[in-house]
Amino acid sequence: MTRFQRYLLNKAFWFFLAFFIALIFNFLLPRLMPGNPVDAIVGQMATGGGLSGEAQQRIYAAYIAEFGLDQPITSQFVTYVSRLAQGDLGISFARSPARVQQLIGQALPWTIALQLPAIIIGWTLGNILGALAAYKKGWLDRGLFPTSMFISSMPYYCLSIILLYVLAVFWPIFPAGGGYSYALTPALNWTFFSSVMEHYWLPFLSLVVIFVGGQAIGMRAMSIYELDADYVRFSRSLGVDDNRIIAYIFRNAMLPQVTGLALAIGSLVSGALITEIVFGYPGIGSLLFSSIRQNDYPVIQGVTLLIMIAVLTANFLVDITYGFIDPRIRARASGD
Amino acid sequence: MIVKNVKAYYVSGSGPDVKAVDNVSLSILEGEIFGIVGESGCGKSTLASVMSLTAGRTLKVKDGEIILNGQSLPLTDRSRVPKEWHGTMVALLPQRAMNSLNPTARVRDLVIDVMHAHHPEIRPADAVERARERLEQLGLPVRVLESYPHQLSGGMRQRVIAVISTLLNPHVLIADEPTSALDVSSQRQLIVLLQQLLEHQFISRIVYITHDLPMLSNFADRIAVMYAGKIAEIGPTVEIVGRPKHPYTQALIGSTLDLDPRLRGSQVKGIPGAPPDLRYPPGGCRFHPRCPHVMNICSIEEPPAIGTEERFAACWWVKDQVDKLSVEGAAS
Amino acid sequence: MTAIPQEQTGGQMFMAGLKRTRNTMSLLNPRFMFGLVLLGFLLFFGIFGPFIFNKTDPMKFVGMLYDPPSATAWLGTDNFGRDVFTQLMFGIRTSLMIGIIAGTVATLIGVLIGTVAGYTGGMVEEVLMALTNIVITIPSIVILILLSIAFKTRSLLVMGIIIGVTTWPWTARAVRAQTSSLRTREHVDVARLSGTPTLGLIFWEIIPYMLSYIVMAFVLQLNSGILQEAALSMLGLGIDKGISLGIMLQWALLWESVRTGAWWAFIPPTLLLTLIAFSLLLLQSSIDEIFNPRLRRS
Repeated sequence: MTRFQRYLLNKAFWFFLAFFIALIFNFLLPRLMPGNPVDAIVGQMATGGGLSGEAQQRIYAAYIAEFGLDQPITSQFVTYVSRLAQGDLGISFARSPARVQQLIGQALPWTIALQLPAIIIGWTLGNILGALAAYKKGWLDRGLFPTSMFISSMPYYCLSIILLYVLAVFWPIFPAGGGYSYALTPALNWTFFSSVMEHYWLPFLSLVVIFVGGQAIGMRAMSIYELDADYVRFSRSLGVDDNRIIAYIFRNAMLPQVTGLALAIGSLVSGALITEIVFGYPGIGSLLFSSIRQNDYPVIQGVTLLIMIAVLTANFLVDITYGFIDPRIRARASGD
Repeated sequence: MIVKNVKAYYVSGSGPDVKAVDNVSLSILEGEIFGIVGESGCGKSTLASVMSLTAGRTLKVKDGEIILNGQSLPLTDRSRVPKEWHGTMVALLPQRAMNSLNPTARVRDLVIDVMHAHHPEIRPADAVERARERLEQLGLPVRVLESYPHQLSGGMRQRVIAVISTLLNPHVLIADEPTSALDVSSQRQLIVLLQQLLEHQFISRIVYITHDLPMLSNFADRIAVMYAGKIAEIGPTVEIVGRPKHPYTQALIGSTLDLDPRLRGSQVKGIPGAPPDLRYPPGGCRFHPRCPHVMNICSIEEPPAIGTEERFAACWWVKDQVDKLSVEGAAS
Repeated sequence: MTAIPQEQTGGQMFMAGLKRTRNTMSLLNPRFMFGLVLLGFLLFFGIFGPFIFNKTDPMKFVGMLYDPPSATAWLGTDNFGRDVFTQLMFGIRTSLMIGIIAGTVATLIGVLIGTVAGYTGGMVEEVLMALTNIVITIPSIVILILLSIAFKTRSLLVMGIIIGVTTWPWTARAVRAQTSSLRTREHVDVARLSGTPTLGLIFWEIIPYMLSYIVMAFVLQLNSGILQEAALSMLGLGIDKGISLGIMLQWALLWESVRTGAWWAFIPPTLLLTLIAFSLLLLQSSIDEIFNPRLRRS
């Protein structure tokens, strides 16, 4: 086994360990509540009225059986894991008999369609601006840097709220929330699609602005660092073309930024939960929000699990590919 | 090669300029290794960066000119340095070999970029071929071309850098403490390589800057001793080591019996005091506060260069000795 | 260009440090001072505001749903008819309190784990850093959500601790690196040879030498704590009694204040959160530049 393979194995080991521990968290914490989630949800149904004692008993028993809460905790965990392996996340409390994976399956495409383009475009623009600011200095740097600082110090949901108010209420340029017009039902036709696009711009814009700010700051700092490097001075002393030197700097400054992109894509599900809530966008964030309000634990757990899988996998993939891209990391890993 | 009247000051936002190099002139002959020696902070690295046309943003070159191969280049405006001066006229062998190669590029990539910058028509394969030939001629392993910097040892990296620096057969190679981070055997290998480069006539002269006078005296043809931004003494190596005239050179030689080669000359212990703050250099001779032979005039007027352009010491006391000798000579 | 002498006495070092600090302080003055004044103003508003304006009950009903600003309710009313201005003052209090608790918890755990790992090394370091890495890898929002729903009642203290126990690893990592480099210093060796116990050594010989670093980490943790609290509150997992800036926003969003144009219900808390975050970032980055002169551009 080469040392690089050992590096991969080591990373894989940590990935699975972290995943396993996160899984235990995910399984255990909601069960640590005083009483148990079923008490809570049945209690809530009862206070809502309209349930006979017998019906309550039946529901209670059904939920206990569904969760296997009458069994010892270890076998509960085994059941939980074996169901997960089959892709079954259980039944939603609030929207029974819908299964959790169905609800997530409906919400996830919205989240991805909103975030993925925003991340990619924001990342590209931010890096270009950051590199330019570091290299050109002058007005670009003086203007861009404080602006980016301010924007990226701003909690992302605050910018969303302000944009929503300014661009949808004060000047009603965009529709104020939702993923599509309430008058429509999802269908594969032009009216629906154009309504979706109309509702898309504002949340998209607010995410792009945040990404641009953060990336520009990071790229600027990295580029300044690289500009001062000895290899830049040496290459210049030999008359190497300026644009070749910029290419070196760009490449070296980009490496950490590429990690940033991968991690941003990994945290795509969790990255803008609140933006979705602000805009009433029908993605994972809104699903989580309503589930929390309804104490719908299976859905909450499903969402947290999804977030976990996405982030951990992205981390893992970054570690692996980084090892391939950057010869220095490869060297450190293989020790030569 | 003639270097004329170099004045280079570090400009700081507040406070006076640091007069790191003040009115230094040198002439370096074809085929020689010319050494510049001095304590840390004497301005030798600044001079190296001015001569290698790599001065940083904070360094202001107030005056100075290089005449090389029949062409003259004013040093005051670095934006007007023609591209062919970099690498084909003047090349740098930098101090920190560790970081002087781009960590994410193979050696061959830099070779291609360097060749391409000066010969836009050259094919990448030909550029690499030329470097391969050069490595073979110098007895270095060809495989380094395919390596990343971190895969090479420190000594090998510095030798590779020396080969790349001289790929375009520059008229002068400025070596700025190239061995300071190397072990003794790598130091020797690098020196041998530099001598080979001269023998093969890939380069026509070397300026070698260091604080290590004993090491320098093993291979330099002539040596200039720098103190506080000025040249104190110049002469053939044998003269400098065997018959130093300037009190500073004498102190420097007296203090180099240290066993650890890295400590040699980095601080002169034989004489009291420390090198002056170059923001406020002392008037007259800059060495006078530490000089054992100090005279009244030393603090008032700058000492003249006593001797010829090839062999002089800038010192009042030396002038005094010479004057006495000539008086005695006339009397007898 | 000037050589740095290898040996310096303590006094010289202190004076040099002081000189450097004074130089950098004068250089960073505007940014540092601006952040400080801004934060001070917000703190003052949160702590003394209720007494100055004699508005001491944020839960009191003073009007109807979303009354616009008036003489009685200077910033209008929220969805329950409560005074927004009063809520803001108490909201700042809660947010800062939770931020401080979270920052303190995170810094304490982080410094403890970081110094012990960095100082003892070996097996202990391996285990502690493995733990740190695992907690870093698991997304904090997941732990926050799961911990929050596991607690039936979430007081201010519980909330602060929940946030603190999820964000310490960053501090631990940074502190460990610092400690490893400090460990080999001479004064540490001297103390060890004279028989100082490990904990005392860490406390007296290691921590004082990176105090400014720890302060910076605390400011960062304080900032992230405040923002995490707001995010959790907006997800509906905030404190169950009392008001915070995040909870104000949650109600405002839930009760359609944006779409009905009741700007006073959501713009002020948004602005205050932004200002708090901005002032803390200014402070943190100006302290940061003292340690990383490379970030400074002439």
